[in-house]
Amino acid sequence: MSNYSAPLKDMQFVLRELAGIERVAQLPGYEEATADVVEAILEEAARFASGVLAPLNFSGDQEGAKWHDKSVTMPAGFKEAYAQFIEAGWNGLASEPEFGGQGLPKLVAAAVQEMWKSANMAFSLCPLLTLGAIEALQLVGTPEQKAAYLPNMISGKWTGTMNLTEPQAGSDLAAIRSRAVPQGDGTYKIFGQKIFITYGDHDMAENTAHLVLARTPDAPEGVKGISLFLVPKFLVNPDGSLGARNDAWCVSIEHKLGIHASPTCVMAFGDGGGALGTLVGQENAGLKYMFIMMNAARFAVGLEGLAIGERAYQLALAYARERVQGRAIEGSTGPVTIVHHPDVRRMLMLMKSQIEAMRAFSYTVAAAHDAAAHHPDADERKRSQAYVDLMIPVVKGWLTETGNELAYLGVQVHGGMGFIEETGAAQHLRDARITTIYEGTTGIQANDLIGRKIAREGGATLQGVIALMRQTEAELAKQGGAEFAAIRAALGQGIAAVTQAAEYIVANYAGDIRGVSVGAVPFLKLMGIVAGGWQMARAALVAQAKIAGGDADPFYPAKISTTRFYADHVLSTAPGLAHAVVNGGGGAMALAEEML
Amino acid sequence: MADLKILVPVKRVVDFNVKVRVKADGSGVDLANVKMSMNPFDEIAIEEAVRLREAGVASEVIAVSCGLVACQETLRTAMAIGADRAILVESDADLQPLAVAKLIQAVAAKEQPQIVIFGKQAIDDDANQTGQMFAALMGWPQATFASKVVVANGMATVTREIDGGAETLEMKLPAVITTDLRLNEPRYATLPNIMKAKKKQLDTYKPADLGVDVTPRLTTLKVSDPPKRSAGVMVADVKELVAKLKNEAKVI
Amino acid sequence: MTNLVIAEHDNASLKAATLNTVAAARKIGGEIHILVAGSGCAAVAEAAAKIAGVARIKVADAPHYAEQTAENIAALVVAHAAGYSHILAPATGAGKNLLPRVAALLDVAQISEITAVDSPDTFVRPTYAGNAMATVKSADAVKVITVRTTGFDAVAAEGGSATIEAVAAAADLGLVKLIGREITKSARPELGAAKVIVSGGRGLSSGEKYHQLLEPLADKLNAALGASRAAVDAGYVPNDYQVGQTGKIVAPQLYIAIGISGAIQHLAGMKESKVIVAINKDADAPIFQVADYGLVADLFQAIPELIAELN
Repeated sequence: MSNYSAPLKDMQFVLRELAGIERVAQLPGYEEATADVVEAILEEAARFASGVLAPLNFSGDQEGAKWHDKSVTMPAGFKEAYAQFIEAGWNGLASEPEFGGQGLPKLVAAAVQEMWKSANMAFSLCPLLTLGAIEALQLVGTPEQKAAYLPNMISGKWTGTMNLTEPQAGSDLAAIRSRAVPQGDGTYKIFGQKIFITYGDHDMAENTAHLVLARTPDAPEGVKGISLFLVPKFLVNPDGSLGARNDAWCVSIEHKLGIHASPTCVMAFGDGGGALGTLVGQENAGLKYMFIMMNAARFAVGLEGLAIGERAYQLALAYARERVQGRAIEGSTGPVTIVHHPDVRRMLMLMKSQIEAMRAFSYTVAAAHDAAAHHPDADERKRSQAYVDLMIPVVKGWLTETGNELAYLGVQVHGGMGFIEETGAAQHLRDARITTIYEGTTGIQANDLIGRKIAREGGATLQGVIALMRQTEAELAKQGGAEFAAIRAALGQGIAAVTQAAEYIVANYAGDIRGVSVGAVPFLKLMGIVAGGWQMARAALVAQAKIAGGDADPFYPAKISTTRFYADHVLSTAPGLAHAVVNGGGGAMALAEEML
Repeated sequence: MADLKILVPVKRVVDFNVKVRVKADGSGVDLANVKMSMNPFDEIAIEEAVRLREAGVASEVIAVSCGLVACQETLRTAMAIGADRAILVESDADLQPLAVAKLIQAVAAKEQPQIVIFGKQAIDDDANQTGQMFAALMGWPQATFASKVVVANGMATVTREIDGGAETLEMKLPAVITTDLRLNEPRYATLPNIMKAKKKQLDTYKPADLGVDVTPRLTTLKVSDPPKRSAGVMVADVKELVAKLKNEAKVI
Repeated sequence: MTNLVIAEHDNASLKAATLNTVAAARKIGGEIHILVAGSGCAAVAEAAAKIAGVARIKVADAPHYAEQTAENIAALVVAHAAGYSHILAPATGAGKNLLPRVAALLDVAQISEITAVDSPDTFVRPTYAGNAMATVKSADAVKVITVRTTGFDAVAAEGGSATIEAVAAAADLGLVKLIGREITKSARPELGAAKVIVSGGRGLSSGEKYHQLLEPLADKLNAALGASRAAVDAGYVPNDYQVGQTGKIVAPQLYIAIGISGAIQHLAGMKESKVIVAINKDADAPIFQVADYGLVADLFQAIPELIAELN
């Protein structure tokens, strides 16, 4: 099947020149993340991704995870690949050294995770969910829970799941009904059914720690009465050995549009008398913990959009370079490879330029996350955290929406062959489709963005970001040449569009919440496109400086040309989106429901 | 065996995935901005050495590389796989196999290894010489193109690939082994070992420190593209096909 | 200028690679001598003496040359190296094992796998897996060279009448002991590692025909058997025969596609093959676009003919 080759050059460029890995490595606790070590880590991760994970992507999709007798069998090769994955120590990359992790920055983890997701998204979900569970336990687990679970989960010997959704409660967690009955000895018996549980069961690890949202008997109604419980697949004895099988079973798996190798389980807790669990953190504080973990999860899903776009691009590019079809539009003696055709070129550039924009944007958010967590200066931590909070819904929403568009383009470049599963392009389209849905749909992200992140604080954080964007625009103005003039013009227009739309949202959110909310997703896309364009402009400026300094690497002129393309084809859509935000609210609500 | 050192020379070469391009002026291949990696046969050599240490046969594995400062990266990779320490013989000269064999000879004089494991050839110059040359300079036995290595009681028993099959040689240590593809499948370096590699010892010498004259013996006059694949031809019948395959393509 | 060619042999017969090596020596010019080192290798020496254009055969016949270990042979070559401007061996496993050792003992460079001779001190050799051809000039007094046999047409094995002389053996260094040698039987090679692949498609019409036609051909060529996805899907052969984007990616020296139309997914799996032969009855089949040699023919006649022609 198609090869995956990690885009190390662009990753390294973004890490060094845009996200500032050297500054991150100066933060207390991140001293080991020096440029040379990070380079070695990325290179080996790239080898692992293309050598072990990528070859299983297509076969895993074809074979799918299989359910029988309340347990799940993974597609061929996954178990061995997982064993190699944890043996190589990748699972603990960013986890706490106290429990065996390597404690590396989020910025490094972002680049490495992008590779896992590009190579094999369905596989990558297993360690991702484990990471979520690790984070919850690190945050609020008891010392006993930490000691018993964290070393095994950080090594990857045990995996983790997040059990939120119930059949009657999708995005609305207030409707959760699962019950937790205290046993008087500090343990609880959990009863209830959970759906959409990623890797709820599988055969790659000896134990799984399910984190389950449930209500205690006297809990208040709604979201304020949800508690978080740790329910292992196998009970853990005091000496750390595995005990009895717990009453937590996968009773079926979903048949899905994509990510076939990732088992999406219906989990039944307590059908046979009660699943034993222990409380994580405070009673009734479950939702609060979910919110704390949400940023990480949403960021990670955003990366999936980038990662699938990258894989789809590599596949489409290889095909376009090879496929001979049709004569050149300007005339040619014989048929030419389709990469020669202007429209194919346009599609490939749409893919390349938006991938680079997404990567630059998301990695800089990861770097801000590191500063928010580790910067010695409290003000700087606060500033960085505000930036992260503002941008998380954009990372999640814009990267996944764009990732879908790129997977679509990947199929289109292939023409009829793209519609055929054997080519592999179709899988990326199917796998991408979930990313705009789970961990909060694009609509939910957009509502979070305009409401909590902008209107609530009167757009203060965004204004700061806009000021930084204006500084970049001023730098662009100092450069000569048509490329930079075009980039500057498009960025300036984009910044103006964001400013106008945000002012409209702040001014009208309270008075016309329905009308403003119609513009939520267009605004999220606008934010993504302009934030991505801002980072591309920064990249072009760095490239220009390198060229001026005598660096002959063709990567740099290509970066400037790619930014120019992005300016003309992507950033140029910003005013249209702002128009939809400012003027489009009424139109969506005008019709009576029966006229739809 | 309490004290058995293995020396593994490793070379930094163009990554095997890179399709090299010949420079337009014929002066060589274009190496600017090209990804460099450890020569794949040398990775197999490091892996074999590390396995011998893990099996308790060897006490220490030392990686050595001759070339630019950037070879340090290659040595770090070797240490991430499991080499205990590394030596760089730093030189920006064009180091040809005989010169490298002499440099390794000088390093061996300092380190006194019992086994030196080379990759059978480097994928850049495709020379396939250095291991044999080093063995000659040392007066040691050589087991080239190894597909299986057993070390016990001061002896190495090596199965090596020969044309049309395999043979097994037995030799007293010290000895030279060069690796073929089938010897092993190199492991992926683990994340903790990648991070530890940075802290392992790396010593640097210059050829002059070692008293070795590295003057090249061969001059490359030009480098050109290989003959282009000729356009396909249709043959009239089976006879013509067989004749072409025999006399023109020389594949049967 | 005198060339010394190291004969490749198994004590009983001279290997053809020696003829290509002599051809390279002829291009260099000057007298050509051949060294036959072995044990009980008189027949080899006699065969070598008949090679066209060779002046002298030097025979070192001693028990410790029976296995032709690099250590002992290198010492022998060096002992007799005086007076030679060029020492050559074929770039076979044996030659590559031996000559660097000779060169180091003579303190000269070795020039690997030459494919052309520009002048007595200037040679062409492939680097970067054949992606770049380097022209190199040697500054050493003695040129020690391995010769890529495909670069030079073999000289005639008959017609010469070189003198045969025995030369003294060097001491047995006793550095290595041969425990065993096993020449692989012609069991069918693995698809991924085969030098020759015979691959069949739906044009073969059935699994029975696939085996009946292709197996004898593959036996003849010591080839692995492959198939297109269409043939696998049609049940002619199991999945692991499949060559292509979703099957194995192969790059043999010779790929013979029989009754394969050449869907792009198949081409992706074999287009790096050195020589591609396509046999198909449909002259418009896309496989002919990538083939070096194409034959439009009825398979059921052409394949038996091909086997007969190879015999």
